[in-house]
Amino acid sequence: MKPFPSRLSGYAVTRVADRHWHALDDDLVVGRGYAEHRPDGRLFVSIDAWHDAAFDRLAEAMLADLPAPLHTLVDEADTELTVRWRRAGFTIGRREWEYAVPTDPRVTGLAHVQPPSGVTIVPAGQTDEDLLRAVDRAIRDEVEATAGWRSMPAEVIPLPEGDTIVDPSKYAVAAAPDRYLALVRVVTVIRPRIGLLAVRAGERRRGIARALLAHTLETLHRSGFDTAWAEVHESNEAASALLEGIGARPAGSNLELVR
Amino acid sequence: MTRNRNGIEVEGRVVECLRSAMFTVELEDGHRVLAHISGKIRKNYIKIVLEDRVLVELTPYDLSRGRIVFRYRN
Repeated sequence: MKPFPSRLSGYAVTRVADRHWHALDDDLVVGRGYAEHRPDGRLFVSIDAWHDAAFDRLAEAMLADLPAPLHTLVDEADTELTVRWRRAGFTIGRREWEYAVPTDPRVTGLAHVQPPSGVTIVPAGQTDEDLLRAVDRAIRDEVEATAGWRSMPAEVIPLPEGDTIVDPSKYAVAAAPDRYLALVRVVTVIRPRIGLLAVRAGERRRGIARALLAHTLETLHRSGFDTAWAEVHESNEAASALLEGIGARPAGSNLELVR
Repeated sequence: MTRNRNGIEVEGRVVECLRSAMFTVELEDGHRVLAHISGKIRKNYIKIVLEDRVLVELTPYDLSRGRIVFRYRN
């Protein structure tokens, strides 16, 4: 791609690839901008720049090149970066609490929690893939019909179109004799992250999520992890109450900014 | 330590988590720098905590500051 440098505010901005920009001070890269689509189609941007002027120039160039709406994610505690994006015209789209969740049953109080009658917990790695995909699809359709999947903490793993389960072995489920009722996905790279915990609409308020969480945290505790991480949309009071009720504490918050 | 067109990149270890999404990173040579998280890391929900091994890009303007551009798996 042919670069088209522009030079204002002392910095030249060059589009070095389809979704990659550089701010240059002479020949030195002093800022970089990136754009990428998430699986749900939303376009996310990020800018790393040492100075406000380089950030502003990159934002100006990227906003001119990219279609709206654009999204970005910032740590709410990072006020400097938040101010930079707001100066570029971004506003707060949503807030996610980031929870540190204890796994020790003596802390969570979940040691003796059992699923309701007729429901069993199927551990990760032992699920039936067809039933798992069926409950995942059903839950996503239910979410889409109500709050909308976009209001959930983002799923960032690129997946084939129409597929939402990249690794079935990461899921544990709550099962009725003939179908699955709820699922939980935990991915551990360095430390475990609860990426998804969901119950079918007609099965809520029976203690299924609590039982699934009890199983998940106890499994992590036996594996030597004392903490798991989870993000919760600020409007999801049920999820926040569930986590805070077992001793989870908000460790931070992310803002999704939109323009 | 590597030096390229992007600046200076050094491996280090997170020794302190500060307010304002900042971290103190101890570099291989024992120096400590104040670092924030790169936008790409933030965008992908990669969480940085104490003791993480990270790659830090130092600013050419102030070698006591930098940004975390990569978190190692071990």
